[in-house]
Amino acid sequence: MERGYWIRSKPVYTSLLWHEKATSHLVVAQGQGGMAVLKLFQLMHPKQAITVLYTPYAEADYSKTLVKVVPEGLHILETEQEVLAKLEIVLQGMCMGMRLYIAGSEDFMWSVAKVANKFGIEDAGMMKELTGTLARPIYCVHCKATTHGVTTNIGECSGCGRMLFVRDHFSRKLGAYMGLMIDAESPGELPEIEEIYP
Amino acid sequence: MSMIDIKVAAVEQVTPLVKHFTFVKRDGSPFPAFSGGSHVVVSMNVGGRVHRNPYSLMGSPADTGAYHISVRKQEQSRGGSVFMHENVEVGTSLQITYPVNLFSLAKKAHKHILIAGGIGITPFMSQLIDLNRLNANFELHYAFRSPEHGAFADQLKAICSSKLHCYADSKGERLDLLALLSKQPLGTHVYVCGPNPMVVAVIETARNLGWPENHIHSEQFLSPGIGEPFKIQLAKSNIEVHVPAEMSMLEAIEAAGVEADYLCRGGVCGRCEVNVLESDGALLHHDHFLTDAEKAAGKKIMPCVSRARCDRLVLDL
Amino acid sequence: MALAFKQETFRNDYKYSNSPNAIKRFPFPFAEDQYMYSVNIEPHVKGKTGSVSEFAFDVDEHYVGECLDKQLTLDLDRGRYAALPHMMDAQWDFVELTMEALSNDYPEHFSLKKEGLNWTWENKPLNIKQSFVFGDASTMPMDPFEFMSKQVQGDFVLLDQRDETLYADAGFVTSQADWSLAFDVGMSWREWHAPVPRATELGVMDRALKYLLNLQLGSPVRRLNWTMTVNPRLDTSPENYPLWGTDRNTVNPENVADKVHLRVELQSLFRLPRSNGIVFSIRCYLMSLRELSSYPRWAKRLHRVQKTMHPDLIEYKGMTKFHPMMVEWLSQFDDGSAMAVGTQPE
Repeated sequence: MERGYWIRSKPVYTSLLWHEKATSHLVVAQGQGGMAVLKLFQLMHPKQAITVLYTPYAEADYSKTLVKVVPEGLHILETEQEVLAKLEIVLQGMCMGMRLYIAGSEDFMWSVAKVANKFGIEDAGMMKELTGTLARPIYCVHCKATTHGVTTNIGECSGCGRMLFVRDHFSRKLGAYMGLMIDAESPGELPEIEEIYP
Repeated sequence: MSMIDIKVAAVEQVTPLVKHFTFVKRDGSPFPAFSGGSHVVVSMNVGGRVHRNPYSLMGSPADTGAYHISVRKQEQSRGGSVFMHENVEVGTSLQITYPVNLFSLAKKAHKHILIAGGIGITPFMSQLIDLNRLNANFELHYAFRSPEHGAFADQLKAICSSKLHCYADSKGERLDLLALLSKQPLGTHVYVCGPNPMVVAVIETARNLGWPENHIHSEQFLSPGIGEPFKIQLAKSNIEVHVPAEMSMLEAIEAAGVEADYLCRGGVCGRCEVNVLESDGALLHHDHFLTDAEKAAGKKIMPCVSRARCDRLVLDL
Repeated sequence: MALAFKQETFRNDYKYSNSPNAIKRFPFPFAEDQYMYSVNIEPHVKGKTGSVSEFAFDVDEHYVGECLDKQLTLDLDRGRYAALPHMMDAQWDFVELTMEALSNDYPEHFSLKKEGLNWTWENKPLNIKQSFVFGDASTMPMDPFEFMSKQVQGDFVLLDQRDETLYADAGFVTSQADWSLAFDVGMSWREWHAPVPRATELGVMDRALKYLLNLQLGSPVRRLNWTMTVNPRLDTSPENYPLWGTDRNTVNPENVADKVHLRVELQSLFRLPRSNGIVFSIRCYLMSLRELSSYPRWAKRLHRVQKTMHPDLIEYKGMTKFHPMMVEWLSQFDDGSAMAVGTQPE
């Protein structure tokens, strides 16, 4: 079952499953996504080459267990930035038939996807599992800044400070939901702000 | 459907079985430009009956002065390719559709692998010119029966130089698909056009190597084929139409004076899709368009290539 | 007939009006008393002389004012233009299509001279003359698509066809009804239609896509879409929603007839030859309720359409705040008698 809620432009996130025809596997995970990686290896240890890039996030750190479970090709990295830099290097040596698996927050997954896109891997060629936080990246349509990790129904734009209402519209290219000034028609009138994407 | 009136400006025998035709517009005006991989449907009057066959446009997409097609004489022809070979000569007038592209290059691909078998080389002829113009990374792998059947090999050599790889079956040369497709960089797309076993082999090999579906492209026009005669009822027109053995359902419908939509006439594009209102037997689906579930449901049929084996078949036309 | 281009503004002081001829040729979209969302696609064939569909691209008395407004909007926000790198062939297709159409259809205003690939384009109303090599972007002062979309009224989106869908991979969008190119660029057909409410959907988007995937070269199609806009403002973008959002509060029973405009989009789609892409042209026509009521048949029809409008659509089209006032004002034209089907003004 998919977590969170559903809109038509929102990508489908599933549970990670090995692609049986793949000739090699690349798994990129963050924080709670480490659990998704462990579940993958619980299903089976594929015989094709495997590379795993993992970075802990907040309290979620599966590094120690992953070291025991992943036989080879595991890279533990300190930050998301390091993961993305390593990913660039790893992708350069890979061939068609490699399958990409991503697990983590929505912010993280779309940062990874952006790097993969540069190498000609399209959205359909990646599997994504949303783990940990349901926090969303919000793109402000007015000032074009993206605010990361928004957990509330209405969020303040990190760029221009406007209060943004989140439209049910997702851009894969920007990796973010569309945010629109909530009180444009009646300045100052704000509905109650609630945490709905913990 | 808008048609273009053309006349034949040149005919050339390219191989023992392949003829190349050059078309110009009857009114002398330029043709529209087109994209690599496009085809046109040529209408010909064969003994009082209109045949419409799709042929890939060759030559440069930027050359709007003339269009070029090549026709292989089919042994099991229903008349179209034989007519082109035996009755069409310099000066003959014909009608063609505007170009349609059901086999276009993936513009975001990082590399293109083109695989042709025999006359399947034709859609690639125009694509190669686009790829060269765009400075794209590509390889062409061209397999044929024997050197005398390797149509356009010299021309291809000039366009592709070292990117061309030829395989003559008579000389024991074989294309090793597994080796070719297992070492391609990320972002590669593969395209195949040729005889059915080759198309199937390329698709299956790429799939088994984990290639995503949308990186695998094929073009395979079906010819309507010869079957058992049957009868159809057209509900809206309120007439019965007899479909003879050597005629497609679409052709029979047109011959009866009923206007039906169509585009590729090869079971690919889906434009001629018709709703089946009633049937009491088997629908013989031959198209590549409907899903297996749709074929099994029996509510739709593509009259350009499909047939039926039943006593009663009512179409929403 | 030579066109007299008007000096107009589509913001601030809103100096905009329609001449009697412009009102008469307005593409009124409602043939029946009740509005039903539909794809309503028809061949974009030559319409009657003087009508908005007489030519592939309609040029009218608002041409110069609209082109100036486009430039103004783009200067304030470069994000209104976008073209992904793989769309260069489609850009040139667009240049060829628009230059040929305008110079053939309006020879007194536009001319195109070709010597092989050396082309010279002249646009007299905007005082532009440009020689360039067709296919060589370095001979143009800007992207070829940007160059020409500034010189044709309306918005333009270039669609790339792949994976059995259409991607909005380039666009010049300055007069949109509340959608953002900067956000939507690169989206597939289904993604960019996601905000269309369910009540209107009924599978029409999927059917329209299937139809458009087979759109043929030389056989363009068109459809009309509509909404209501407060003030004759072209740029009702989400980007500038803070600027125009409050306009909806300014409508009152006294000014409703002059403030509220019927906004009709003449959408046309052409298959492009070299790129196998599609250009989606969205041309906007604006007419105030007062102008519209110079043909009482239209006012009567619009009254019925609005009175029976589905609440979801009132919300989706942003009409909630002024809808009752609009219906009330239009009601004076409705005597309750039956009307024949048709969009004609009289």
